[in-house]
Amino acid sequence: MYVTREGRNDMVGEKKWYLKALAIVVLIFGILYAGFPILWMFLNSFKPNAQIFAWPPVWISESFTLNAYVEIFKDPEKVRYFINSYFIAFVVVVLTIIVSILAAYSFSRFDYPGKKIVNTLIVSVQAVPPIVLLIPYLSLIVTFKLHNTYGALILTYMLLTLSYAIIMLTGYFNTLPKELDEAVMIDGGSRFRALWQILVPLATPGLLAVGMYTFMLSWNEYLFALALTKTNDVRTVPVGISLLMGQHAYEWNQMMAMSVLGSLPILVLFLFFQRYFVAGMTSGAVKH
Amino acid sequence: MLKLKAFHKTSFAVLLIALLLTLTACGNNNSSPSNTSGSSGSQSDTGSSGNSGGSDITLEFQQWWGVELPDGALQEIVDGFTAQTGIKIKLLSNPYADTRTQIAAGAAAGTMADVVGLDGSWVYDFAKQGAIANLTALMEADGYDDSQLSDQIRVDGNTFMIPVVNFAYPMYVNLDLVNEAGVSIPTNWTEFVNVTKTIKEKTGKAGWAIPLSTESPSGIQNNFMSWLWASGGSMLKDGKPNLAGNDDLIATLEFVKQLFDNGVVAQGAYAMKEADMVEEFTNGRVAFMTDSLAHLTTIKSEAPDLNIDFIPIPVKDGYTGKSGMDVANWGIGIAENSKYKAEAMKFIEYMMSPEVNAKLAVLANAFPGNIHAQPDYPADNTLFLKAYEIYQAGYAINEFTGLPTSEELMRQFDEQLQLYLDGDTKTAAEMLEKTQEIWVKAFK
Amino acid sequence: MKANSINIYKQDAPSLRKKTEPYLYLLPTLLLMCVLLIIPIIMVIRYSFYDNVIINKNPVFVGLENFKLIFENSTFVVAVKNTIVFVGGSIVFHMIFGLAFAVVLNTKYLHRRTKAVSRVLLALPWMFTASVIAILWKMMMNPNGIINYLLSVTNLSSSHIEWLASRDFALFSITFINIWAGYPFYMVSLLAGLQGIPNDLYEAAAIDGANISQRFFRITLPQLKPIIISLVMLDFVWTIQQFALIWMTTGGGPINATEMMSTFIYKLGFSKYEYAQASASAVILLVVCTIVAIFYVRHQRGQE
Repeated sequence: MYVTREGRNDMVGEKKWYLKALAIVVLIFGILYAGFPILWMFLNSFKPNAQIFAWPPVWISESFTLNAYVEIFKDPEKVRYFINSYFIAFVVVVLTIIVSILAAYSFSRFDYPGKKIVNTLIVSVQAVPPIVLLIPYLSLIVTFKLHNTYGALILTYMLLTLSYAIIMLTGYFNTLPKELDEAVMIDGGSRFRALWQILVPLATPGLLAVGMYTFMLSWNEYLFALALTKTNDVRTVPVGISLLMGQHAYEWNQMMAMSVLGSLPILVLFLFFQRYFVAGMTSGAVKH
Repeated sequence: MLKLKAFHKTSFAVLLIALLLTLTACGNNNSSPSNTSGSSGSQSDTGSSGNSGGSDITLEFQQWWGVELPDGALQEIVDGFTAQTGIKIKLLSNPYADTRTQIAAGAAAGTMADVVGLDGSWVYDFAKQGAIANLTALMEADGYDDSQLSDQIRVDGNTFMIPVVNFAYPMYVNLDLVNEAGVSIPTNWTEFVNVTKTIKEKTGKAGWAIPLSTESPSGIQNNFMSWLWASGGSMLKDGKPNLAGNDDLIATLEFVKQLFDNGVVAQGAYAMKEADMVEEFTNGRVAFMTDSLAHLTTIKSEAPDLNIDFIPIPVKDGYTGKSGMDVANWGIGIAENSKYKAEAMKFIEYMMSPEVNAKLAVLANAFPGNIHAQPDYPADNTLFLKAYEIYQAGYAINEFTGLPTSEELMRQFDEQLQLYLDGDTKTAAEMLEKTQEIWVKAFK
Repeated sequence: MKANSINIYKQDAPSLRKKTEPYLYLLPTLLLMCVLLIIPIIMVIRYSFYDNVIINKNPVFVGLENFKLIFENSTFVVAVKNTIVFVGGSIVFHMIFGLAFAVVLNTKYLHRRTKAVSRVLLALPWMFTASVIAILWKMMMNPNGIINYLLSVTNLSSSHIEWLASRDFALFSITFINIWAGYPFYMVSLLAGLQGIPNDLYEAAAIDGANISQRFFRITLPQLKPIIISLVMLDFVWTIQQFALIWMTTGGGPINATEMMSTFIYKLGFSKYEYAQASASAVILLVVCTIVAIFYVRHQRGQE
């Protein structure tokens, strides 16, 4: 049922050389645009602090050092930040995807009173700046005795990502024709089955985009990660990076190193999920 | 179809695992004994829980100091308290930049630690919010002799914060640049203007730097006002803003504007933060810098070949009185909703005791908050000792401590200063009138 | 025959189960949102009608006073103006870059491995937390930083431009940084969307003799429309409250050059301790975004 296709945009016909050239130019521009700052960060993580601000800029320092990385790995607290981040991000992704699939299905396939209101609400609640919500939200978390627990962060990140996930998945589900559902139901299956057996696999690229974003948000979120936690055994990487900015001493190279390390899991995820981005939908999915 | 069935099964399996994990996570309320919300065991209502060895009380101490001190140093110091009294101290840390926000939120939501590290500029507002406790009452209850404290930060007559150690802001000099330009050390403003001009011409490097980022406008306190205070000036009168018509301030403004107009101030001032300024100096691009003594270690370790020295801040032409030196401090206070205020006060007294205070001062490269403390500064740290001498020749001052919305006052002054420096506001007098108008609103 | 009769049977009796089914699917979401999100939001809205919240244990009801104060605040007007420029610029270029890169990543002209590697490289800005991005760019945009160095070496500029410290450049600079930080979101979502466009549409068009640009504008874009609209709306809501990036690069300065709604609100709440006014500003943002959301939902309705 899955057919892997590459570049189906203009599958039929001639390959024009100038289009290829254009693609390459855009690609090179993009890679420089995206990659240069990251490269700079990467190089800085191997310098002693002073040289990071040198003029003329030092590309690769003569005192090239792995010190920053060593400091991070030596410190069990810092390693713990990574473990916490992994755990929380993973759980949030799984839960958010499940909950949002259900909600998106509801929006996509049904029509019922209150639907527009809920839909509007889901979008607009994101508009409240988190900093304003901080105090009431914190009080609520404390009331539920969730302060300084993984649970608090997991629930919070679910809240932050659900809106996006539901909206995007509704959009993806909307592009899948209703005939697909009906095909299952005619065969005697329930809507639930139609959802999980047909729609979800077909919406895989969309699910991956949503999952990617959810992971990234949980991984990179700072304000609530700081506000909802007290002790370092529950804290995540962004807080860890921030703790390197003291009142007087900034550990620039460690900050850069920690960010590089922090981005690795996402990089790996991207690489791992490559082939799913490529899988697509065929138009012959519905058998008449 | 097989593939889909497998997917179906896998998804349920994953869901199950996730739920299980979440439940364990929620249940696994990590080992932190958040003991502010009640521990059992021996509690005492009076202040004398002192030597009841084996007490079950744990005080939470929230601070950003641990990061600034050598690894494990702070833990060792607080362990000394535990050894004496049996009360355990749990160290919590927040990034300095966000500590104030976290304390404000924590006070409102009831998650504040028992003992909190405080900056002088936060005290007034937290006291008004009812977030921090009245220390005067606690000290009286303990019979504590507070004359040994070099300073106490008061609001409406009561102390709410005690400075544990002070970070002075002397003037650093890059001797290499001074020698390269062939100039001598300036002692007053006119000389400073000329010297920086020559340095810029001969070496192309900046003569002075000031961090004026709106995000953390501490440059106003540490780098701008230090000119004023070094020449005996004041921005307040009877604790109220005295900006408009303040001749000393007008002179200071015109002096600083001249530095900017001469192009000797390091570029990017309006977005510069203190840490950025230090990096500029460390990389040899700034000749004179008023900065925290705490940076000495960083600068020396990052740039061991840099030839630096300390000088008394150049004073206004003709001024001969004592010079005030700007200090920032690590202050300490007690949360109002702490259940162990008496024990917390004991802890503060411990941190302020001459021996402990001296030890902390040495570790932090700061000056002690207890006047009887005799810090054992390493004798080979000649630069630090020189700065200490300059500090002792004058007096410590920071008029922003204890003012309402201190940071906002600094920010407003910063914005008006930028307008004046850019020429939007034509005269210094005008700038001060405008700033006075804005400041007065906070003092209602 | 059998299938049809079953169908009719199902359509005849809207059972309780059928009626509540959509709500059941929504239940987890509603539960979570109502308890943890709606309650604090209501509290914030409530704060906006009082004075001296948080600071004072007994806040005073003042009706619309806070809103009046906000609208009269000259910094508010500047913040709104800057926010519009910032949000507008960000959305436009997020879309342009996101679409361009997504198309390139989906094209047949490049080898599969090239595209695989590029996918990761082009998504790099997305993988870092806002404060790190802010610090990194602040470092690069330092008057003595790498950007000015490259400009001077290539003779494009001789003076050290104060990217973040000058009133002339600051807003442009942070918008630039935000564009860099945010386009991968568009790129990935649009890429997934492109993958979902059925091939026969293109085949049919090619048979009809359509050229590249016609295929793009008549097939690709319309097919992507629902996704594009969702993206724009989400980006609008997110960018309008973007805080960390701006705060850590310029703090709203120099003077008011980069003051946004988010920094304005933060300063009100945590520097001036005027939580009530901060809540009122947040309510204003909420109202604006709700209006946008209503339009979006109306539009969605039309889709079906």
